[in-house]
Amino acid sequence: MTRVLHVARDLLREARARRWVLALFAAATVLLLAVLLGLRLEVVDGALAATRLFGGTLGGKIQAADVALRPLFQGVAYLVFYGGILFGILSCADFAPALLAPGRIEHLLSLPVRRAELLLGTFLGVEALVLSGATYGGLGLTLIVWAKTGVFGWAPLAAAVLAAVAFSAIYAAMVACAVAVRSAALSAAAGGVLYLLGVLASYRRVLAPLFTSGASGGVFRALTAPIPRFATIADQAAAVGAGKVLDPAALALQLGGAVLFAAALLSAAVALLERKDL
Amino acid sequence: MRRHRWIALAAVLLAATALLLSLGEEAPPPAARRQVEYPRWFDGPDHRRQQARATLALPRPAGGRPPAAGPEEPGEPEGLRDPFLVSLPVKEGGMVMVFEANALRHSRLGERFIACLEARRPGDLAELEREFGVDPLKDLDRVAFLDDAVVLSGHFQHLKWDRLASARHSTYGRDGRVYRDGAEWIAAWRDQLIVVSSSEEGVHRAIDQLEGRAPIPPSGIDENSTYGEVYGVIPGAAARRLLGGDERGIGSKLASLASRIELHVDAMQDVAAVVRVQGTDAGGLEDLAKTIGGALAVARVKAQAEGDREFADLLEHAQVEHGGASFDLQLAIPADRLERWFADCERPRPPPSEAPADP
Repeated sequence: MTRVLHVARDLLREARARRWVLALFAAATVLLLAVLLGLRLEVVDGALAATRLFGGTLGGKIQAADVALRPLFQGVAYLVFYGGILFGILSCADFAPALLAPGRIEHLLSLPVRRAELLLGTFLGVEALVLSGATYGGLGLTLIVWAKTGVFGWAPLAAAVLAAVAFSAIYAAMVACAVAVRSAALSAAAGGVLYLLGVLASYRRVLAPLFTSGASGGVFRALTAPIPRFATIADQAAAVGAGKVLDPAALALQLGGAVLFAAALLSAAVALLERKDL
Repeated sequence: MRRHRWIALAAVLLAATALLLSLGEEAPPPAARRQVEYPRWFDGPDHRRQQARATLALPRPAGGRPPAAGPEEPGEPEGLRDPFLVSLPVKEGGMVMVFEANALRHSRLGERFIACLEARRPGDLAELEREFGVDPLKDLDRVAFLDDAVVLSGHFQHLKWDRLASARHSTYGRDGRVYRDGAEWIAAWRDQLIVVSSSEEGVHRAIDQLEGRAPIPPSGIDENSTYGEVYGVIPGAAARRLLGGDERGIGSKLASLASRIELHVDAMQDVAAVVRVQGTDAGGLEDLAKTIGGALAVARVKAQAEGDREFADLLEHAQVEHGGASFDLQLAIPADRLERWFADCERPRPPPSEAPADP
């Protein structure tokens, strides 16, 4: 396990040196600063009395601040979830292909590290990066709203954690793709396709009856059966923002599905790497 | 060999994923809660309802205040009006509150309330019908409360008057009958309307308004304000009488700033209420709106802290919307919470345990 953590730490060190990753963090920082400076929230005795964004008034409703801020937290939860995953796909597409670059992989394999440990370390490093990115954006916005209104919303934090779990399935697919064909573009494409499939799979009960042929409907159901339901997980994050009570069993099933899917694709990636003559 | 183990593991995990996620799909997704709709406008269904109620061809009173502007000559009939609204014997500066009894009875709140009543006191409503000859769930349409009068509309042809008042009555106007019951005066008009007032002048005025002999006072509720299942108007003077007691409180500020307070409650699914406060001091009303918003937020936190679930539920959807020289206070209880409130009430109570029979 120590060797896995060493690989993960090396990956994080490498990420810190990459301009692309730093640029994404900088963009998130600029966005947070804009919200910090541009958003004015007037709270009177716990009620949100006025909201102004860059001088413009947003509505004239006066409502208990925590209730009034629910749509904001819902929106931020969706943004953190989908944005966090997109951030992960864009910023991490190159890590696995770089790991497998000729010369580097031979060097790594000459160390006392198993191939499976190498992939798992890379996977965990990327997961930590995405979790920290999503948490940075989500927690940053939460703290800004908390400082301005005194209301602390858990939804962005929940969305960051859920995004990291959902991204584990996507990144496992990206790793498997990179092991099969060492290309950052293809790896990102695989992640993007699974991202869209995961949203589609969330609505498979609605979409399946639309297939006129029974065979194509069956193929659709079979193909989407093991795909994690990303939109369903995002809805759970938003439900935290809406102040709704979550169904822990339903959430556990969705998250368990994403983790198992990630484990399945990582196993496939290890099998592919074992086959390579390196 | 080791590679095959990984492939087998991947296949097993993928199958387990599909199985796990299919378990999650068996449970139907929870129905999304509809956004609470507040009664803020007189819309299509209200317009149709009002048109169906406009059955009274009102002659123009000679020399009286015309009920509506128009080119007609005195004595000529005007457009059709709603007899219930025409009959309201409102005094200058008096309040009016109308309950759409029949609509309320068929609303979700009404259904739950009746079910609760039947569970708690079975047979009471049937007894009421036997006693008075009127089924309040079917025969009563609307009830209006005024300062010193109550007006009911519905089907009262089977009403047993001798149970309500002295059977002796005098006729008044073309279609009116006036009864006396102690200090109360009761008037019936065409078995459609009943007016109860503390003065004979009150019931006479209602019939005079209906038969065109008296001008219709500006009640504040015109046809376009009859939306929702409960609606009413409290003019500024009445508000000052009702709320002006506490010199430093919100009620007193409201009374001093409001020239008119209008209430509309929609109860068909969710119970949603709008209290519209109008005045002339826009700045003062905006400050008052903020004060009320803050007070509601504080009250909700207090209710949550004290475990008063019903009050906290009510205040969760409370909001104040201000604009210009008016603001709307909006309150709502979503239908699902309403169901929860009544859930215990409608459950049949266990019969009292029987005493063991003596040997």
